[in-house]
Amino acid sequence: MKFKYEITGLDCPNCAAKLEGMIAKKDGIDSVKINFITERLTVESEADEATVTDTVTKTAQEFSPKVNIAKK
Amino acid sequence: MRGVLSSKELRPVYVGVLLLLLAVGADVFFDPSGALLYLCYLPALLVAGASVYRASLRNIRRGEVFDENFLMTIASIGAFAVGECAEGIAVMLFFRVGEFFEHRAVARSRAAIRALLDICPDTATVLRDGSEERIDAEDVEIGDLLVIRPGERVAVDCTVTEGCSAVNTAAITGESLPLDASAGTLLQSGFLNQSSLLYARAIAKSEESAAARVLCLVEEASENQSRQESFISKFARVYTPIVVCTALLFAILPPTALFLYDGRLLFRDFFFHALTFLVVSCPCALVISVPLSFFGGIGAAASRGVLYKGGYCIDALAHPDIAVFDKTGTLTRGVFSVTEVFSVGMEDAALLSLVSAVEHGSDHPIATALCAAVPSVMRAEGFQEHAGRGVSATVDGATVSVGNLALMREVGVAPTPIRGEGTVLYAARDGVYLGAIRMTDTLKPEARTALDALRGLGIKKSVMLTGDRRDSALAVAKALSIDECRYGLLPAEKYGAIEALKKQGSVLYVGDGINDAPALTLADVGVAMGALGSDAAIESADAVITTDELSRLPLAVRLARRTVRIARQNIVFALSAKLIVLLLSVLSAAALFPFNFSPYLMWIAVFADVGVAMLAILNAMRCGAIKKEKQL
Repeated sequence: MKFKYEITGLDCPNCAAKLEGMIAKKDGIDSVKINFITERLTVESEADEATVTDTVTKTAQEFSPKVNIAKK
Repeated sequence: MRGVLSSKELRPVYVGVLLLLLAVGADVFFDPSGALLYLCYLPALLVAGASVYRASLRNIRRGEVFDENFLMTIASIGAFAVGECAEGIAVMLFFRVGEFFEHRAVARSRAAIRALLDICPDTATVLRDGSEERIDAEDVEIGDLLVIRPGERVAVDCTVTEGCSAVNTAAITGESLPLDASAGTLLQSGFLNQSSLLYARAIAKSEESAAARVLCLVEEASENQSRQESFISKFARVYTPIVVCTALLFAILPPTALFLYDGRLLFRDFFFHALTFLVVSCPCALVISVPLSFFGGIGAAASRGVLYKGGYCIDALAHPDIAVFDKTGTLTRGVFSVTEVFSVGMEDAALLSLVSAVEHGSDHPIATALCAAVPSVMRAEGFQEHAGRGVSATVDGATVSVGNLALMREVGVAPTPIRGEGTVLYAARDGVYLGAIRMTDTLKPEARTALDALRGLGIKKSVMLTGDRRDSALAVAKALSIDECRYGLLPAEKYGAIEALKKQGSVLYVGDGINDAPALTLADVGVAMGALGSDAAIESADAVITTDELSRLPLAVRLARRTVRIARQNIVFALSAKLIVLLLSVLSAAALFPFNFSPYLMWIAVFADVGVAMLAILNAMRCGAIKKEKQL
């Protein structure tokens, strides 16, 4: 399944790439893509939506408290 | 501007400035020394740098060392530690202000691009059980009856059931002339109803409607990187570590060498200069501004009916050498019309009317085109189709045959063959030759100017590839001054021709996308015209022009060129700013200048970091700006 989120509060594409790398390492995440310009986060995973949202939100918080994630 | 200056993000900066002024005051009046001096300045440093220090600690815990927060931390604390307290703080404050403006510039340019793409309404009015309801566009079901008021945008693709109105289609097709919509007209989401109320039946869900497809294409496009973008992201990965290592070596090696050579102690000086290296070691200006330039270009083009599939397409479209065109539907309208009538012993109009009556019995494309062009007042009956030759029917008791020379021979007439472009229809009545009608596919009116504009843009050679016959092909090639014309080609031969042309230079292929998907894919850059409806065309093309107007083609090239130019400017500008700072700091450390830059170096460095980033972003925003360009 593909899950789409809106991601705000990232400073630059460099940071976006770093967060992308962190999310990719988490369990159950098949692929992850952050588009810095359109502020879009796309995750592919077999897990259910609640789990994915939780993983993604927690990782983002760990990365920087400024980053905000909302379900699209 | 007041709204900007009262932003929450700037509060620590104001407090920091205040504390710094107090500290400087205390420093001047009381002239403290040692620990007391540091104590004076410490509050200002902490307030100014708090969030940067926190971010950098968080990164270090994660094992991420080299980011701008860390570098600013070292630079400000380093300057502080060597006794340049005010400097360390001021540089941090400057950095924060720069960052603030940088963020604002990114946000503004995002908003500008979004506004360009804001073509799909969030809600729609539907008529359910006789009453109007305003619902989310996503909840509109196929078959719902939509109420579209003047001034509203169409939320989902639909067909008009009632009402007449002028509809602006520019958001999707880039076409500036309004569409006259009445019962039966297909409306795409994103169209704007201009004059009066329309009722329409939804034929697609919002996510499958035209506007959503355009948005989806544009969003995906920002992920297909151009050469410049992938250069920058590769460069960014090696740039920071290299600069940081150089800074480290610079702080240690030269002063050690000098110390060993003549016993001079210059560690402090070199350390201070090395700090400036750190400040410019963040590749931010590049990693933000280059993709932003491309995305701006993609957005600006999308709003004018040109959809680039990604940065790499912009690259390729900016400088093609050879432009290759498909003929039918690309250079010509793909619609046959009557261009010449050769009647024998009767009025031209009478011949046309008679032929049209008979052609009603055929569904050959040429017959259909003729019937559409010439309304018949006569009645024909007893139609008989002669496959590959023509059709005959009875009109006013006489047998009329319309078709090619072979059919004429069958009915016993032998007219002089008429040569030249297009298709010629011969007609005979009861064994008597009546005359002939020439039907040709007409050139698109803007084809000539579009081709001239392309030549003006530096295309070296134009080529036309067509499956059509020699005469028709040569006529078009001559009318448009096309350099090379190949006719009678099978699809596989078209493919081969492009393969050969690719050896001569970068090939731009323009087709209608219906049956030339392989050619679109093979060319260095493939442009499909008027093909938003065809998935195969969108799939295989690098750029899609939503209308079938050829004049968008030079526009697409020009927009691509502007985008690439701005992206390059940003790369050169940002890199040279950083290089200059690095050079300045090496040269001034070595005291090679008559003028001593050292006191200003840190300032110059911070400007080269955040200031340059901001300027580069502002420059990138030009890509998305829609200028009133001179008509092509």
